[in-house]
Order: sequence, then structure tokens, then C-alpha cells
Amino acid sequence: MTIRHHATDETLMRYAAGQLPAGPARVLAVHLAGCPCCRSRLGEFEAVGGALLEAMPPAPMAPDAFAAALRAIDAQPQPLATAPLARARTKPDAPVTLPGGAPLPAALRDCEIGPWRWIGLGVRASTVRLPEDRQARLTLLRVGPGRKLPEHGHVGTEFTQVISGSFSDGYGRYGPGDLSEMDQEIEHQPIVDPEGECICLAALEGSMRLNGFFGRLVQPFVRL
Amino acid sequence: MKDDGVPDGAELARLIDKVATERDRQAYARLYSYFAPRLNAFLRKSGLPPNTSEEIAQEVMLSVWRKASYFDPTRAGAATWIFTIARNLRIDHLRRIRTAAAGEDEQGEVETAPSGETLLLTAEREARVREALKTLSDEQATVLRLSFFSEKAHSEIARELGLPLGTVKSRVRLALGRLRVLLEGQS
Ligand SMILES: [Zn+2]
Ligand SMILES: [Zn+2]
Repeated sequence: MTIRHHATDETLMRYAAGQLPAGPARVLAVHLAGCPCCRSRLGEFEAVGGALLEAMPPAPMAPDAFAAALRAIDAQPQPLATAPLARARTKPDAPVTLPGGAPLPAALRDCEIGPWRWIGLGVRASTVRLPEDRQARLTLLRVGPGRKLPEHGHVGTEFTQVISGSFSDGYGRYGPGDLSEMDQEIEHQPIVDPEGECICLAALEGSMRLNGFFGRLVQPFVRL
Repeated sequence: MKDDGVPDGAELARLIDKVATERDRQAYARLYSYFAPRLNAFLRKSGLPPNTSEEIAQEVMLSVWRKASYFDPTRAGAATWIFTIARNLRIDHLRRIRTAAAGEDEQGEVETAPSGETLLLTAEREARVREALKTLSDEQATVLRLSFFSEKAHSEIARELGLPLGTVKSRVRLALGRLRVLLEGQS
């Protein structure tokens, strides 16, 4: 899988800073899991965080804070001596494959995946709910081969990670593993490539401003 | 250690290692006195009220004790590792307030086996980032800090600074572009 479309610096920095909302952060997590290049760039922005931390003028803790820390340490069970194995986050009843056989990205396995709904124009959508933020809304979209979506703009930035299949718009061709970030100044018209259905994961920044294209499609089906 | 008694990156990494392997409380005390007040300030700057920032700084330092053996100097410098713990605990805290649901501890991918080479590359990256940050203009540094310490989208930052959105966006792009060029050593 050759990834051609990556996260912007701005998005990676906000993710590194812990400032990206939960929805877009998950879309990015799916991209990062498959993209060593963005993982390495993320490491650089985390190093920016480390540098900013070290440059902070110290704000003193309460005088007894260190003593309290030692007491807490003594009360703790013994720490693990070795690094942990990667924890499985799979819910036992979570579906492991998506329609068409593509695996559900590991970064979504602890999410609640809603039923697929037909929403017209050859598009089906499923709402993804996150355990860490019940207000956040992600959408899995399945768009039929060769489908042309109407040209549209966005109110907030739209993050779209391709899971299977591919689509093209004026900005390029997006295949599995690619991330498209469309900000509010940009208009585009995605066309799914004729070889097959395209499944992608989409989030709009600003959960209450669903007037982007996906928002207009999805809005009637999402309880806000 | 540098002359002024402030521990450098290598010293901090050695202290974490002593905590991990020997449960050395003196090493821990030095880490605590260096990082806790900085974490407190950092968390306050990112919008937490003073009591909360101190509570979370304390939680971060307890995680440093508990997770010291997970620190991998081939992946991140000491301050960067501690920053990511603070970031995750801050996110967890905000989510606990927003929803009753418990937060997830986002641990990164398991990477390839560590080697001396990756250790060098990591140390070099930390140094490059610090050098790059020093060369940003005041305006660029301001937008970088705003993006780091505020969850506001750029449109909100623009309103707050009384600048057109396009200006904020282009300053962010300039700062990040400059950082990228410096990080990649192309300048
Ligand atoms: Zn990437
Ligand atoms: Zn769009």
C-alpha cells in the first residue's frame, strides 16, 4: 500500500498537542496506524511539546506535594518490571470485517459501529460512536463504483481516510491508507473510481456544524 | 549535566532509567523537582485551573514512577515522553468532565527493536526541534504556541487576535513550513 496523501503539519501538530477533537483524532489514528511517515512526523511535533515543556517557567507545586507523591507511591502495587504487550482493545462482539471484506481498522475496534443506512446517491453510511467521547460523530461511508458526488464546500475541515477502494477529486486520487483533509475554503467533487465500491471514514471538525456535503447527507440520520 | 545544575536530556534519561531499574528515590526526587513545576505551568497554560493543573502534574509524576520501565529513549527524549503522558492525562481529564465515560490511555504503536542508531536519531531529532524553535519569528512562535496550548480552531484564533482567518492560516503554515524545512535539514 503506497500512501500518497498524508496529514497536514497543522493537523499532526494539533494531534501531538492533544488539541484535535475526538472525531478527527480517530480518523488520524487510523491513518497513523498505516503510515510510518506520519508517525515519524508526529514524533517531531511531540518533541516540540517536550521542548515547550522544558522551556516553561516553573510554577511551584504545593510544599507537601512531593511527600504526597512518595506516600502515593508506597500505597501503589509494585509496578510492572517489563514493558507491556500491546493491549487488545477489541470488543468481543465488534465486527472484524467491513462489507466487501476489508478489515475494520484496529484503531476503531473499541468503537460502536452502527447499522448501514442507505442515504441516496449510491451512498450508505454507518455512524461510529467513540467510547471516549459520546458526542463525537464519525461516519463510515460506502459509495458505489463510479458514483459522482455533487460539488461541495465544507464549513469545518473534513477529514476522510480511505479504507478500501478509491476516489478522485480535483486534488488527486485517494486510495487505501490515504487521508484527505479538505478545509472550508476548498470545493471539491469526489468521484469513486469505477473498479469498485469505496469505503472511507469521515469526520468533520465542529460536531454541530454538519453542513458540509457529508453533513447534509448524514444529518437527517444523526440525532444532534 | 550542564554547569547550571539543570539536567540535560541525557541526564534526565539516566534518571528515568535509575527509577525503572533500581526504584531510586533520589533520582525520582530530581525528576520531580525538575518536571513537576514545569508540568504545572504547562497544564495551566493549556487552560486548566491552578488546582487541577497541580493535580494532573502530580498524576503525571506518579505515572513517571509507575511507567519508568516503558520509557524508551530510542523513541522519544525524556521531556517528550513526559509531555505525552501529560497530554494523555489532560485529554482523559477533559473527557471525564465532558462525559461520564472513562478515557483511554492512547499508547502508540509498538515499534521496531531499539538500536543504537535509533537512539542517536532520536537524540538528534530532539536537538533539531529545539534549534528550529529558536529560529521562528515572534509571530510564528505565537501561532505555534496558540495551536499547542489552545484547542481553538484557527477561525476562533483569528477572531481572538483580530486578524483575518487567512492571515492566521498563513502564519501557521509559515511557522510549520519553516519548522519542517529546519527539521529536514534543508536550509
Ligand atoms: Zn501519512
Ligand atoms: Zn468533501
